Amino acid sequence: MNIGINGIGIVSAIGNDAAQVHRSLVERRSGIGSMQYLRSVHKDLPVGEVKLSDNQLKDMLGIPQDTVVCRTVLLGTLAIRQALADASVPVPQDAGRVCLVCGTTVGGMDVTESHYEELMSGDGSLHLMKTHDCGACSEQMAELAGLEGAQVCTVSTACSSALNAISLGARMLENGEADYVIAGGSEALSQFHLNGFNTLMILDHERCRPFDATRAGLSLGEGAAFLVMTRSDSARYAYVTGWGNRCDAYHQTATSDDGLGARLCMQDALDMAGLKPSDIPYVNAHATGTPNNDRSESQAIYGVFADAMPLVSGTKSLTGHTTSASGAIEAVLCLMAMKDGLAPAAMGVDTRDEACVPVLAENTDVELRHVLCNSFGFGGNDSAMVLSAEPGPKKVTSVPEQGVRVVAESIVSDVAELSQLREFVPPMESRRMGRLLKAAMLTSMRVLKEGDTECPDAIITATAYGMMETSMKFLDDMCRGGEQLLGPTLFMQSTHNTIGSSVAIRLGCHGYNTTYTQGARSMEWALRDARDLIRTGKARTVLVGCHDEGVDLVNRYRASVGLPPMPEIYSHSILLKAE
Amino acid sequence: MEELILELKERIIDVLNLEELTPEDIDAEAPLFGEGLGLDSIDALELIVLMEKYYGIRLATASEAKPIFRNLATMAAYIAEHRTK
Repeated sequence: MNIGINGIGIVSAIGNDAAQVHRSLVERRSGIGSMQYLRSVHKDLPVGEVKLSDNQLKDMLGIPQDTVVCRTVLLGTLAIRQALADASVPVPQDAGRVCLVCGTTVGGMDVTESHYEELMSGDGSLHLMKTHDCGACSEQMAELAGLEGAQVCTVSTACSSALNAISLGARMLENGEADYVIAGGSEALSQFHLNGFNTLMILDHERCRPFDATRAGLSLGEGAAFLVMTRSDSARYAYVTGWGNRCDAYHQTATSDDGLGARLCMQDALDMAGLKPSDIPYVNAHATGTPNNDRSESQAIYGVFADAMPLVSGTKSLTGHTTSASGAIEAVLCLMAMKDGLAPAAMGVDTRDEACVPVLAENTDVELRHVLCNSFGFGGNDSAMVLSAEPGPKKVTSVPEQGVRVVAESIVSDVAELSQLREFVPPMESRRMGRLLKAAMLTSMRVLKEGDTECPDAIITATAYGMMETSMKFLDDMCRGGEQLLGPTLFMQSTHNTIGSSVAIRLGCHGYNTTYTQGARSMEWALRDARDLIRTGKARTVLVGCHDEGVDLVNRYRASVGLPPMPEIYSHSILLKAE
Repeated sequence: MEELILELKERIIDVLNLEELTPEDIDAEAPLFGEGLGLDSIDALELIVLMEKYYGIRLATASEAKPIFRNLATMAAYIAEHRTK
């Protein structure tokens, strides 16, 4: 069965549609520059903004100017509409066979932060919280793109979200869970994550220079890209032939020196595609431009390719680091490169860093039958994907279908119970953890102990709102205390996949690690994924958890629309094993 | 200097969530990172914020901070010399 890509849509700092982006890619024009649309005191930080205001985006999409729609939804809707219009295959009549899989992490934060005072001081603007959470953003994108009735799923693994969304979409097509998938990601710049990255001191004050010896950090960008995928033997663009996701399990915001997670996910992607390293002529590296990432990723690339080194480049000096959308944006850039037979050189690589792989200095004509695209996220969530000009090998299912059983379950819904975490985690290690992370860690460790499992094969997390306590504290410090003097502790615990990666880091678990955030359906998606992994023999032991916490602002919003409040804390872990 | 060291200990315990420790537990000559107190790179970033917030000292990069953060005594000496508030 072949997963074909039949349509693309993209909006980014280097263009508002595929044709503009293609031109910028070939002409090596960067979209990174001084801040025009984002409101922040950090004007000295260059950013890769989409060159459209929210109002211009609304005009393009036919949305009334007085309607507040978050920028993540505006950018995502534009890219989805483009992909649908571009697709060579019509959307099926039966909407239930269609699935939108979207990767995002920031969600509607831009709206929440710019209306923070009015949200905190009264109930008049609570409707603006409707798309604060990522799952609601994806649902609104589906609605605005005319995909009513379609399945909607949001993957939130920080900067690898969109590539994981594409992999999930491909799996759904393989499993027959959908016939038509629109998969990708969207992420708008926000004051919240600009300041968050700034607290980690990994933002370059000049345009980012991935792999260059003088590199000093990344440049944040924004954008959205989506692929239309179907089962097909005559794909318009290319085929998704292999993918891998692993956890580096090293640190929440840094990668290991040897890039183990990155090496493992690239190897998995090659194995699935049935390819040798020498079959890959070009790698689009994650290449953020931080000293740490580029060195670590280089080690991983050397580890996989050894003496069969491919051409390598990183394109974030053009687009900026579009965080949760980057996997999809770079997958689209790879498709353009394949079509042209041109490996794109980015910009800013003037001084070779001997600790890094050699990278392209100029655009290079080369036949690209296969490319490998890397996308890595916080928590060491590392993903890679092989795109091929021809269909992949016929898959042979050698493992008989496995049954699934629940071996242990644990629920924590009382903050008083969190002191018991001591039994599993020393205080020095848990000292920064917010209450949700503590609860999730406690239920996870309990089920692993009860199930006599040191390390599961995979960790899958479900959360409707994610790390609300720490995110809201950071937001409050930023909006009320100003954008100076913020520390990293709260921000590093703000992504939805903080939970799954913290558990993986604690256990040294390098297996598959993903996070679903789709409102009340988050756990349904997580369990669906876990059962599928076990059923098809890809994992024998899977840790699945559903974790959420209530904060005042969200509960006031929920009350205003007649929804029950989120509990103060709720963590439910389940250990699943093959029969 | 003794007073500054005690003040630093209290601030560090608060900012780095070291609730388990009292100022007496921290040896001013022991390394802050790795062996010794056992702080990590995120703590270093929090200490950079602490330096600016309480003492008006701005460190541009984490590598610049490294020798200053060797132990509490080196940190206090640097603050005493460079503080603007």
